[in-house]
Amino acid sequence: MPSLKNIAADPPPETKSRKVFDGSFLVLLALTLAGGVAVGIVSGWGRVGDILLETFGFLAVLAPKIGAGIFIAATLPILLPRDRVGRLIGRESGVRGLVVATACGAAIPGGPMMTFPLAAGLGVAGADLGAVIAFISGWSLLGLNRTLIWEFSFLPTDLVWIRYLLSLPMPVLLGMAARSLMQRRAA
Amino acid sequence: MNILIGTVLIGAGAIWLWLQLPNEEWRRASYRASLDTFLFTAPRVIVALLGAGFFAELLPEEQVRQLLGTEAGITGILLAIALGPLTPGGAFVSFAIGAAALKAGASPVAAIVYVTSWSLFSTTKIFAYELSFMGRQATLTRILVSLPVPFVIAAVVSVLM
Repeated sequence: MPSLKNIAADPPPETKSRKVFDGSFLVLLALTLAGGVAVGIVSGWGRVGDILLETFGFLAVLAPKIGAGIFIAATLPILLPRDRVGRLIGRESGVRGLVVATACGAAIPGGPMMTFPLAAGLGVAGADLGAVIAFISGWSLLGLNRTLIWEFSFLPTDLVWIRYLLSLPMPVLLGMAARSLMQRRAA
Repeated sequence: MNILIGTVLIGAGAIWLWLQLPNEEWRRASYRASLDTFLFTAPRVIVALLGAGFFAELLPEEQVRQLLGTEAGITGILLAIALGPLTPGGAFVSFAIGAAALKAGASPVAAIVYVTSWSLFSTTKIFAYELSFMGRQATLTRILVSLPVPFVIAAVVSVLM
């Protein structure tokens, strides 16, 4: 991992603002409104009120966790600039390279439109397919941003921990499997 | 209790990260990025949690329990694995569906493997991004080596729980 401390001399990187109300949010909003109306018709509007109360109560309990998760998700990428990550994974090899690739995949937030171009760039920076697959799998299975903000908000905490801990070794194993597959293909 | 432990752990992580910020300029950049992420995330979390609550109410509990509950056994797990890639959209959609199914009686194993299968094989991600950026061979290799993962996790969780 690149040192997080030796940055006092540099200014922080610029971050871009995201559009809050995009197409996917409107679809989600429409589905939720339709769900609310359907519950009102099927089970009565009192039940809609109950679910609203339950959800906001749950949100109040979750709020500190979501707040801390948002801070981590927003701050980590500032401290871990993307170009440095690419060079680091490209340089490392062996199992260590797979571990570094997994950790970087887990630490980098953002959707597929950010991750896959970066993963393709890793190959250019010198990473092999095993490291690229470890990086993509680290992001898919262990993405901190997704787990901290989303998964912990929706699913029971013990389930999230079980899934996360069991998935922990997977990206490195998948990278090793891809490497041996490529070797067999080349032979 | 579980929520408390999670909050303490995540809070400790946040404090550690805050201590890594070297000076006022970096702290300000971090606050700006946090506010930006908050404005993006908060409406989605609220709407998606409400949606999960409504859909859990609408899901036919008997069928969910029959198809995805503990009694459904291996068939239920296979169905959960198959549903993962078919889920459209981003993380909040799949977690909201997982949460709604759990409330309606799906087994914890089914929820875990559904999320795992969605993470690895979401067709939205594969067709919209991975194939075009990574190419066919890299994508197929990744899918091939990843195929056993949901089954391995299902087996381990079934033994554990």
